[in-house]
Parts: sequence; structure tokens; C-alpha cells
Amino acid sequence: MASRGIGRPLGNDFYRLSGRRGVLRGRMLRIDAPLILSLFCLAMYGLLVLFSASGENIADVERQGAAIVIAFIVMIGVAQLEVEFFRRGAPMMFVGGLGVLVIVLIFGSKVNGAKAWLDLPGLPSFQPSELEKFLVPMMLAWYMSKRTLPPRFRDLVVCGLIILLPAALILLQNDTGTALMVIMSGVFVVLLAGISWRIVISAAVLLMMASPAWYIFLAQAHQKNRILTFFDPYRDPTGAGYNIIQSQIAIGSGGIQGKGWLNGAQSQLDFIPESNTDFILAVLAEEFGLLGVLFLIVLYLAVLARGFYIAVTAQDTFSRLLAGGIILTFFFYAFVNMAMVSGLMPVVGLPLPLVSKGGTSIVTLLAGFGILMSIHTHKRVLPR
Amino acid sequence: MAEKFKLDDHERETLIFNRRMLVAGVFIFLLISALVTWMVYLQVYRYDYFAARSDGNRLHSQYVPPNRGLIYDRNGVLLADNRPIFNLTVVRETATNLDVSLDLLRSVINLSDDDIEQYRVRQSRRAVPHTSVPLRYQLNEEEIANIAVNQHLLPGIAVEAQLVRHYPFEQMAAHAIGYVSEINKDEMTAMSAEMAANYRGTHQIGKTGIEKTYENLLHGEVGYETVEKNNRGQVMRVLDRTDPVPGRDIVLHLDAKLQAAAAQALGDRRGAVVAIEPSTGGVLAMVSQPGYDPNLFVTGISRAQLAELNRSGHTPLFNRAIASRVPGSTIKPFIGLAGLYNEVITPDTVINDPGYFRMQGRSRPYYDWTWWVDKSGHGPIDLRRAIYQSCNTYFYQLAVDLGIEKIHDYLMTFGFGRNAAIDIPEASPGIVPNEAWKLENRGEVWYAGETPYEGIGNGIFQATTLQMASAAAAIANHGVLKQPRMLRGTIGNDGEITDVAFPDNAAQKQLLPSQEQIELVRSAMVDVVNKPYDSEHRRHEGSAYPVLRESGRPLEYPMGGKSGTAQVVQFQVDAAGNRDDSEVDERFRTHAMFIAFDASENSRIAVAVFVENGGGGGSVAFPVARAVLDAYLLPEQEYQELSAVSHGH
Repeated sequence: MASRGIGRPLGNDFYRLSGRRGVLRGRMLRIDAPLILSLFCLAMYGLLVLFSASGENIADVERQGAAIVIAFIVMIGVAQLEVEFFRRGAPMMFVGGLGVLVIVLIFGSKVNGAKAWLDLPGLPSFQPSELEKFLVPMMLAWYMSKRTLPPRFRDLVVCGLIILLPAALILLQNDTGTALMVIMSGVFVVLLAGISWRIVISAAVLLMMASPAWYIFLAQAHQKNRILTFFDPYRDPTGAGYNIIQSQIAIGSGGIQGKGWLNGAQSQLDFIPESNTDFILAVLAEEFGLLGVLFLIVLYLAVLARGFYIAVTAQDTFSRLLAGGIILTFFFYAFVNMAMVSGLMPVVGLPLPLVSKGGTSIVTLLAGFGILMSIHTHKRVLPR
Repeated sequence: MAEKFKLDDHERETLIFNRRMLVAGVFIFLLISALVTWMVYLQVYRYDYFAARSDGNRLHSQYVPPNRGLIYDRNGVLLADNRPIFNLTVVRETATNLDVSLDLLRSVINLSDDDIEQYRVRQSRRAVPHTSVPLRYQLNEEEIANIAVNQHLLPGIAVEAQLVRHYPFEQMAAHAIGYVSEINKDEMTAMSAEMAANYRGTHQIGKTGIEKTYENLLHGEVGYETVEKNNRGQVMRVLDRTDPVPGRDIVLHLDAKLQAAAAQALGDRRGAVVAIEPSTGGVLAMVSQPGYDPNLFVTGISRAQLAELNRSGHTPLFNRAIASRVPGSTIKPFIGLAGLYNEVITPDTVINDPGYFRMQGRSRPYYDWTWWVDKSGHGPIDLRRAIYQSCNTYFYQLAVDLGIEKIHDYLMTFGFGRNAAIDIPEASPGIVPNEAWKLENRGEVWYAGETPYEGIGNGIFQATTLQMASAAAAIANHGVLKQPRMLRGTIGNDGEITDVAFPDNAAQKQLLPSQEQIELVRSAMVDVVNKPYDSEHRRHEGSAYPVLRESGRPLEYPMGGKSGTAQVVQFQVDAAGNRDDSEVDERFRTHAMFIAFDASENSRIAVAVFVENGGGGGSVAFPVARAVLDAYLLPEQEYQELSAVSHGH
């Protein structure tokens, strides 16, 4: 496999496989239209909901719109990079990411109790831990691509380190939600790499058995509280259970058709806390009803389906694992938020991808999709 | 070979990956299915529940208190109206740090510990959650401004406008109209569920007087308002409103001008004046002095203010007009009627008065007031003269001849011994004793020696000033008793007055002698005031005539009356108040009484005056009664001049 990259003549086979080589060369842009389209729909839908959720605050919407524009530019920019760039750069980027996390721990600023933000002069503050969502899969994909699949137990130890190192740093930032997501993004890659089901099931059983111990010995008071609240929100209806109760009321009272845009009583009268960030689904569900929720899920599934297609049609292990990891992380992200806001899961602080207010989240997410597009649009001919 | 192995490896890896993606896809399908199912459960199956919860969050019913009905006097003068004030209120649920807020408030407005204590009491009995409770009433503009400046530091605290009762005449009519004040716990628990619901928005309730008696008329019906509130309890909009039905405006028989004149006539003296329209029983004036400012009670009187009120020891809150007293000689005309009715005497019956009455078988005489003057009596005396000369001996004799049971039975039909007033439930019934009464209430048998005192109103018998005025009005009305009443009518939405028709059967129960005999008693009472000195006969002048003559102002209308002097301690004093007791401590001086009436054919007014420790009825109470009649009967202009002159003194 000496010949890689797009500059080289690869013969007729290549043209047959990619089908658009000539066109791309003319347009100079490597993008994936279905993915861009569904992401764009999601972002616009998100803006619509955000306008309502932020109390018709046009400034919020403008800021979010700017973040979306930047995110799309970043995405398209990333898509132009060679897959080779990611493969080669994976270890460096991973180590660099860890370095930034350490810097955040030292110099970061605190928002909502999590010391996860970096205030760089002249730049909007951003959350470096968000980057780990694709830095960890990338590193793992790199590592796996060096090995034969399925991974051995020895490989798993290395994988564990790759996952837990950034996760631990993020945990130290007191940002459990993101840490959980980073862990999951890594776990997805390991699972996709073909880890033996026996190990998976053992690990799951082990986790299940360990969880009571965690609850009793390790869990902090607020974590215990969240879990208790999940099982019975009404044990403290005006305190810990308030968010989830109000959120469920908003969702349930939306009914099938919703109360109409800007007409959600729960949303507009400030009964939903964090209504423009983590709990924005409650606003959407109240104002657009079940149909609006289904529409959101369909949009997510469209992105997901395209992501799956890209992952399955990717040409090498690195691309596959990276694409699979990113798309599953994206899905998991969306699912966990929706499940948490609707009361199917304990509350963890995670935004609804592309809908919740928050620039970093959107930029990093779309950067991830940029990698997906890069994988899809930089294909080589594989000798058969 | 190496190449081949790599290709195999590659295919195998692809297979592994694709299988894993398939598994992921299945998981994703399951998770999405679960999520969609859950959403359907929340948004379809439990829609009704959550929709109701959502409405419960934002929709709040609040009560809109009705405006209290206004109270007018017979001439359309406002006796009680409603005035807007600005109150400081607290919604406990949103007042997150009340103690801090209170400390801040204390520094910016006048807020006493008493205010806070009263607030806590109100808070403890608030029935509806999330409603505001007054913390302090009647903020002034400066205080409102100070609160506005600090509003952001005072969560749950607001300035609210409220209409509250206002009594423009202040203390002048306090006892007649009464007052409203905050509903207390006892009143709350005493309310029926229906009434309690109607008072949800109401802070004050009538406590005494008309305000209490006609609470039902005056209060109105509570209104409701559904408002949308946000999470901080701010009202965003009003969605639905059922307007309250304001209370009925009512018109009293009371005459504010007369009320003022009566209060002025009484002056600084403790006592009471009640004036009644004989033809209707309508109370034209009801004064009790000292009075108090009922406005103090409307928004809750402070301890300090209450202490100030009670400091004098003159019990200003006590309504003397409806408290029963020994009536003194003012009872004599009614004893006379009892004698005539029971045919114990006739108008021509003459007895001899040697200056005292001696009961058969008893050595101790009952003295006439003349005895204390010159150890003599009236000589031969008939009923007419016995009334206008206020002869004790005649009535000692008559009382003994009647016996206590007949006196009792007769007086009971004249509005005594029970509260005959239609709408003054607080009035004392007074006491009309008989043997049974005494046994029951004092545990003693009736001694024959007590009966003579009942004839001159210095025994056990007690009557209120209201009852005396009512009885006087009956005589003015040629014997026919009308039950006293305050309410004349209600004002409809069209502004028309609808007179109330009270069932009044007092006259049917009355035991009246012949009309001729009634007129005799009536004219004897006219003589009390008008019969001048007779140079040929000693003690043939009316007992109040000397006072009239001394006033230097002859009567301009026919007037009848009867004086009375009630003993406070056991002195033998005369009925005309001639005994000098200026040396006696003021508290032990006699009470002065006078009943009077317009003696024209169609009498327009009867009045009873009671001056506590005033001295003699004729000298002290008669001028008050006359001033009241002047105020009512003299032409406006003439009265104005007169009161200007008397004020000049």
C-alpha cells in the first residue's frame, strides 16, 4: 500500500469507483450533499426552537447562527483534508488534546460548576473537552488500524488507557457528562473493532455488579441525588426533581401537535430551567408536539443513516472505525439528551446536538462530520 | 502470499466491522423505538395529565374582592365609603428570604415590630396559597418610592392598591355605624363553607354596628380572575374574569346633621343620645360619648393605639346608647300608663303626699324628693301632676298597688326587658324584674319593700337609652310603639331607594289604656317642660320648666319630656336633680336622664339623653335633649344661627 492520496494517477478503476473524481476536481470541494443537507435542516430546526427557548432573544439566535456558519465552514474545511492527515496526525492530535485538557485544568474558567472552559483572549471561550469526542475515536482507530482485528486483550489495555486518560482529565474538570460521552466514544470504536462478545458481556456484568459499590462508596452526593431523583422526581419536587418534572410536564402537555411555536406555556413562562441548553427538547416537544419530536428523530436518523453508509463504505480500518465511532457517538449524544430530558435516564449535563445553544458543541460536532465527509470523499482504489 | 493474506485479513476486518455496525444498528433501532414509545406515552397517553399539570403551573385563580356597599344617611350624606390605599404585601411562596427583606424594609420605611407580628398572624390564617398578605397598610408616597427603588432586593414583596373602608365622620358616628376590621380566626371558623368562599378575597369584615348587622348586604359577592403567572409569580395576563358583585349601598334612618348636633350637645361629657322618628321607629341619631375613630380599626389597630384609646378609663369603645341603666324618673310615665291600663288608677285618682310613702307594716318611709328640700310633700296629687312634678310618693303608691308582676307584664310590652330593636343586635335587653326573674338571676325572693323603687326607676329595672328613646317615641306617636331600626332601605343599580319593610308587630302586643288616657300622659309630659310657675300653688310647675326658663329662650315647637336622675350609689336624691352633690366624687354622681319628644300632632322626633355621672336630669340632660330637638325641628337657618351663638360661648 505504497500509493496513497489523490494526486496520483490510479487508473481507470478509481474513476469507476468514485464516479465523481473529475467533477470534484473541477469543483475543488469535497463535500457530501445528503449529510450537509440533513445537518443543515437540523441546525435550522434548532435555531427555530432556540428562538422560542431563549424567550425570543434574537441576539442568542444570531450568536448561535454565527456558530453554525463557522461550524459549517470548519466542517467543509475539515472535509478537504486527506484521511491520511488524520491517520498520521492522530497520535499528535491526541497528545495535543491531552495537553490542552491539562491547561484547562490549570487556567480554565468555571461555568456551571465545571472547570471546562478556556478563555483565550480575542476568541470566544470554548470547551476543549468537546474535541475529545473525536480525538479519542481517532486515536483508537489509528491504534486499531495498526493491529489485526479483532483486538486482543493486550490491545484492550492500551485502548483502555487511550480512553481513560482524557476521560480522567475531564472528570477532574468536574464535567461528568462529557467524560461519559468521551468514554462511550472510545467504547464504540472498541466494540466496532470486533472485541469479543465474551469480553463485552463480562465487562457489562462487571459494571453492573460494580455499580452498587460505586453508588455506595464513590458517588458524590449530587450524583446520588440525580439517581434518586431519576427513580422518583417527586421526592423533592421543588428542588432536585424540579427540572425533570417541569420538563416532563412540558413534553406531555405538548400532545401530538404541540402548542405552537412561541406558545409553549412551560417554555415561555420560565418553568423549564436550562430551556435553551440541555433541556431544549422540552421546549421543542411542548411547542411542536410529538410530530415535532418525530421530525427531529427523523432528521437525526437521516444523519445517522448517512453516517452508517459512510462508515460501511469506508475503505480501510482506520476510516471505518473513525467514521463508525463518530457517528455512533453522535447518535448516543442525541439519544442520551432526549432520554434524559424526557425522564428515561438520570440527568447528565449534555446538550442536544445541533439544537442546544452552545458554539463549541456545534463546531466540534460538525468538525467530526467534516472528518466523515473527508473519509467519504477521499477514496482510493483498492486493488482487488 | 503476503499480499493474499493481507487481502483476506482485510475482508475479514470488513466483515467484523459490518457485523458490528449491524449490531449497532439493531441497538439503535431498539433505543429509538423505546424513545419513541416513551414520547408517545408522555405526549399521547398521558397528554391530559400533563396538560392539566401545565395549566396548573401557569393558571392561577385569584379572588377579586367586591367593593363594599356604601352607607348613606337619610339625606344622602355618605357615612361610610371606600378609599384606595396602598399596602405592602407579601406572597410567602415567592419571598425567598423574608427576614432579610424585612430588615431592609425596616430601614427604608416605617415598619414596626407590631406590623410584623400582625403580618404573621394574617399569614398564619391565609387560606389560599400563593396569594398576597398585607404587611403594612397605607404607605405614603415616599415609602412607595423607597420600596420601588429597592424592589429588586425584595422578592415576593409588592405594593398593592386596595379599597378600604373610610368613615368621613370619624368618631362622630362610630357607635351607630360601627366599623370593619380584619377578619379574625374565630370569624373564619364560624363561617359556613359557602360564606368562607365568598370571603376569599376579602380582608375586612364588619365588627360592630351597622357594618356588622348588614354585613351580608354590604359585602357583595366575590369575583374570580384566572391569570397566567410565570415561574416567578408575576401575572402575565388575565385570561378570564368574573366580576365581583359589589355590596348593596344602603340608606339609614340616621341623620348625619342630627348626629353631629347630638354629639355636639353632649360635648365632652360621657353619655349617650338616641333620637328616633316616632312614626317609623327609625333611629335618627345614636351617639355614645366618648367616641373613637373607627378608621383606626379598618386596617388593624396597633397595640399602642388601642392602649391610647383605653388609657382614659372612659371606655370609648363601649356603646353607652345600647347599654342598660337604671332609668330614674323617666320611667314614671310608663308606670302611669300601667296603672291606667290595669285600672289601678284613673286620671282622677288623687293621693295625698306628705313627703314620703309608708308601706303598710313597715316603719321605714320612702321619701319624696320634696322631703329633702323642705320636709314637706306635694299634698293631694293626681297622675298628671305626679308626672310633671315627678312625684315619687305617687309612684311608690302606684307601684305597690300594681304589684311587681303587673309592672313587669306591662313594661315588657313597651319594648323593655328585651331587645326590641330590629337591627341593633348588640343592644342590651335591659332588665324588667319580677319575682321569677329575681329568683332566677339573683337567687332571692322578691321583697315587697323593693316594689316602690320600681315605681320611680331606681330599683332593679334597667333600660338602655335606645329603649327609653323608643318608649318616648311611642308616647309621641300617641301610644303606638314602633320597633327601633337603623336601616331605611337599599339603593338599587338605578339609584332608586327601595325601602325595607320589616315585620313590626310591637304595637299588637302593646297593652294600652284608652286613647284619652294616653293623651293625658302625653300632655303631662308636655307639662314637664312647659308648665310655668303657678304663684298660687306651690310645686305646680313642670320639673324641667325652671331650666327652660333659665335658658332665656322659649320653645319654638311643642315639646314633651321627662327628666330622670339615677342613683349610682345609695343616696336619696330627688328626681329633678336639685340635691347638691358637687362634693361627691365625679364617679359617684348621679346619672342624668331626659326623654323628650316633638309634641306636635304628627311627632317627628323623640329623644333620650343619658349623661353619665351628669348630675340632675332636668338641669344637665334636658338642655342636651332640647338641642337635639332644635337641630331637627328648627328651620335650618335658625338652627345655624343658634349653634353659632352657643358655640361662641
